[in-house]
Amino acid sequence: MLEASGLEAGYLGENVVEGVDLRVAAGEAVAVIGSNGAGKTTLFRAICGMLAVSAGRVRFDGRDITGRPTHRVARAGLAYVPAERHLFPGMSVRENLLLGAYPGRPDPSAFELVFDLFPRLKERPRQAAGSLSGGEQQMLAVGRALMSRPRLLMLDEPTTGLAPKLARSAYQALQALKETGVTLLVAEQQVPLALSLADRGYVLENGRVRLEGASEDLERNPEVRRAYLGVA
Amino acid sequence: MRAVVLDGIVLGLQFGLLGVGMTLVYGLGGVLNLAYGQAAVLAALVVALSLAAGVPALVAAGAGLLVAAAGGVVLDRTLMQPVYRQRGEHRVLLGLLLTLGVAFVIDGLLTWRYPSGALRLEVGGEAVPILGVRMRVGSLWASGISLAVGAALALFFRRTTLGRATRSVIQDEVGARLVGINPAAVRTLIFALSGALAGLVAETRSMTSPVSVTAGFDFTILALIVAVVGGLGSVAGAFLAGVLLGIVSTVSAFYIGQYVTTIVLLAAAALTIVARPRGLLGR
Amino acid sequence: MTAEPDATVESSDGAPLGVSAPPPRSLARAFLPIAVTGALLALVPLWLGDSRLMMGLAVDALVFGAYAVAFNVIFGSTNQLFLCVGALAGVGGYTAAILSEEAGLPMAPGLVAATALATAVGGLLSWVAVRRSLGVIFTGIVTLAFSLAFANLVLGQRELTGGETGLVVAAGEGTFLQERVAAYYLFLGMLVGFLVVFRALERSHVGWAFRALRDNELAAELTGVDVARYRVYAGLTGSAMLGITGAVFTYSDGFISPSTFEFGHVDVRVLVMLAFGGLGTLLGPVLGTVVFAVVDELLVEAGQLRTVLYGLLIIGLFLGFKRGAVPAVADFLRVLVRQARSSAGGRRVRAALARRRPDHPNEEG
Repeated sequence: MLEASGLEAGYLGENVVEGVDLRVAAGEAVAVIGSNGAGKTTLFRAICGMLAVSAGRVRFDGRDITGRPTHRVARAGLAYVPAERHLFPGMSVRENLLLGAYPGRPDPSAFELVFDLFPRLKERPRQAAGSLSGGEQQMLAVGRALMSRPRLLMLDEPTTGLAPKLARSAYQALQALKETGVTLLVAEQQVPLALSLADRGYVLENGRVRLEGASEDLERNPEVRRAYLGVA
Repeated sequence: MRAVVLDGIVLGLQFGLLGVGMTLVYGLGGVLNLAYGQAAVLAALVVALSLAAGVPALVAAGAGLLVAAAGGVVLDRTLMQPVYRQRGEHRVLLGLLLTLGVAFVIDGLLTWRYPSGALRLEVGGEAVPILGVRMRVGSLWASGISLAVGAALALFFRRTTLGRATRSVIQDEVGARLVGINPAAVRTLIFALSGALAGLVAETRSMTSPVSVTAGFDFTILALIVAVVGGLGSVAGAFLAGVLLGIVSTVSAFYIGQYVTTIVLLAAAALTIVARPRGLLGR
Repeated sequence: MTAEPDATVESSDGAPLGVSAPPPRSLARAFLPIAVTGALLALVPLWLGDSRLMMGLAVDALVFGAYAVAFNVIFGSTNQLFLCVGALAGVGGYTAAILSEEAGLPMAPGLVAATALATAVGGLLSWVAVRRSLGVIFTGIVTLAFSLAFANLVLGQRELTGGETGLVVAAGEGTFLQERVAAYYLFLGMLVGFLVVFRALERSHVGWAFRALRDNELAAELTGVDVARYRVYAGLTGSAMLGITGAVFTYSDGFISPSTFEFGHVDVRVLVMLAFGGLGTLLGPVLGTVVFAVVDELLVEAGQLRTVLYGLLIIGLFLGFKRGAVPAVADFLRVLVRQARSSAGGRRVRAALARRRPDHPNEEG
C-alpha cells in the first residue's frame, strides 16, 4: 500500500534521512524503531508532505505522492498523527472529531469506531480539547485521524508523555484497530510495545535503515536486544 | 444619555463587524492588513458611482461588496503569497509593510481620480421611537443589517463545516492540514469575506453619515483598535469590543469632543496591548 | 494563531531578523565614510546656495537624514519598531514652539526642555515595551497609536498649539538659524554628529550588546546581556536625536503645524528611505535621503500620484530586499567579486543566492 524508495529529506540543506526504502502492505502493522534523533519523525514528515523530499519517491496505492502537500495526502486516505498531535485546543472533542472527516461530514460508523476504541471520548464530547489530559489528548488525536476512515494510519511516538499503563492500553487500542482492517505504520521508541503490535519492523539509525524484518526476528536479533531492549 | 448610548450601540455594531474582518485575516494568516480600510472606501465608491449611473440600490450595494471581496482575493493571491512563505515576526512585519504600500497605492489613486467622491445612502422614513428615543431609519437599518450579518457569521463559524474549518486553521494550522484542510484556500476565502465585511460597514455607515474616499486609513485604524481590544484572532472578541468601543466613542464625543474621543480609542488599544495583550476574548 | 507571534521564531531561511557585520576596527576606516560624506555634503551650498527653495529642500533632506539615523538607532539596532518617528520629533518641535511662544522662553532652555521631553517619552515607550515583552508588532501598534494620539492632541489643543493652522515661531528670527546657508551647515553638523554617535555606539560594548540581542535575543539574555536595558538605551538615544532635530527645525523654519510631523509625512518617508538605503547601515540614511530628496522634487507636480508612487516603492523595496536595496546590491557585487577571485566561487554564489530567498513551501514549523 505504501512504498518509499530511496527517500532522502532533511532541514536547511542537510539530509537527516538518507536512502530509506520502506514498504507497508495492506492490513499490516509496521513499526519504525530507533532512538532519539534517528530520523523517525523526519521520515514520517517527508512521507506526509510536511517536509520537502530531496531525493527518492513515495507511492501510496500505486500513486506517486512524493512532495504532495499534507492536506492532499490526508484526503488521499493517509492519516498522520504526529507526536505533537496538533489538536484544535479551543474546539470541543466533538468538533475535533467532526473535522477529522473533512471535507465531508462523517458517517455514523466513524463515530462508533472511535467511541468503541476510546470510550472516554464519548463521556465528554463538549470538553475543550486543550483541557484534556495527555492520555485523552492522544486518544482524541488518533480518533480524529480515524474519522476519515483512512486506509493507512501513521503514528509518530503515540506513547509520548503517557504513563506506562496508558501506553499499554494505547497499544491495545491499536491492536483492536488493526483487527478492523486499518493498516498501521508506527514510529516508536518503546521497542517492546511496538514489536508486540507490528508484523514487521525497520530499525532506523542515523537516518538509515539498519535492519528490517519480521518482528519476531527483530526481537531475537542480538543487536536490537542490546541497543533497544536493554539486554546484555 | 439614553440616546447617546443607543447611538453608541448602533455605531458599535458596525465597529464590531469592521473589527471582525481585520481580526479574521490576522488570526488566519498572521497578516495585519493595513489596506483593509481601502476595501471599505472602494465599496463605497463603487456604490456611489453605480447609483449615479442609475443602477438600482440593492444591485449597487451588491456590486460594492463584490468589488471589495474581489480586492481581498486579488491581494491574497498576489502580494500575500511571498508573505505567507515567511514565518512568525518576519511574516507580520512584511505583511504590514506590503499592505501599507497597497493602502497608499489605492488611497492615492482614489483621491486623485475622485477627489470629492463620497457615498451617502438616503434611507427615507420617519424617525422611529425605540426605548423612548427617536432613532433615524438609517440607524435602524444599519443596526439591523449589522446584527443579521453578525448572527449569520456566528452560525457560519459554529455550525458549518467550512466555518469550523476556518476556526481550526486559526487554532492550529498544521492540525488543519492533517485533517485535509487547505489553509491557503481558507485564507483566500477569509480575505474575500473580510473585504466584503469592510464594504458592508462602509455601506451601513453611509446610511447615517457620508463616507468619503479619503476615509480609508480611518477605517483601518478603527478596525485595528477594535481587533486589538477584542483580542487578535477572536471573532466574538472583535464584536464585543466593537460594541463597547462604539458606546465609549459616542459618549466621549458627546460630552467631551471629537479629538479626545480618537485619543481615547487609541489609548484603549495601547492599554490593551500593555495590560492584557490577549484582549477581551483572545487566547 | 494566538495574540502575538513568537518573538524567537527564526526566519525560514535560517538567518535572524537583523544581524549585520560588526563595524570596522580601525578608527580611520570606521569614521572615514562619515568624514567623506560630510565633506561632500558641505559642498552643496556652493552649488545651490543662491536658491532659497533649493536650500530649503536641502535642509529638509538633512532633517530626514537625521530622522533616519535615529530610526536606525532604535529599530536597526534593537528591532524596536517605533512607528512614531514623526511624533517624537513633533514632541520636540511643539515643546520648543510652545515654550518660546507661550512662555517666552529663550531658545537654549527651550531646546533643552524639548529634547528632554522627547527623550523621556521615547524612553518610556521603550521601557514599557521591554517591561511587557512586546514583540515587534505590538510595539509597532503601540507606537503607531501614540503617533496618531499625539497628532490628535495637537489638533485638539487649538489654543495652545494653533491646531491645524499651526503656529508661527518667532524665537529664531534674526538668528543664523533662519539664514539659508548657515542653517544648512547647522543641520549638516547635526547629521554628521548623529552618524558619529551611531558609529561610536556600534564600536562600543553597547553596539556589541545590540548585535548580540539582534542575533538571538534568548541567547544574549542567557549570556548576561541585559536586553531590557540596552533596548531602553537605544530608545533614549534615538528619541533624543529626534527631539533635538524637531526642536531645532522648528526654530529654524519659524513655523510649526501638525502636518510637519505626521505619520504619513515623516514615518513613511523614513521607511522608504531606509528600505532603499539600508536598514541598520551607517550611510543608508544619507543615501536614502539624497535619492528621495531628488525623487520627491521631481514628483512635486504629481500631487496625489506621489502617494501612489511611495506605495509602489514600499511594496517593491520590501518585497525585493530584506534589509535595503543598496545593501543587497552591495552584497551581490561583493559575492561576484569573490567569485572572480576563486574557482570555488561558483558554489558560493549559488549558496549565497539560495540563502537570500526562502523557498520551502512544504516546510512547516
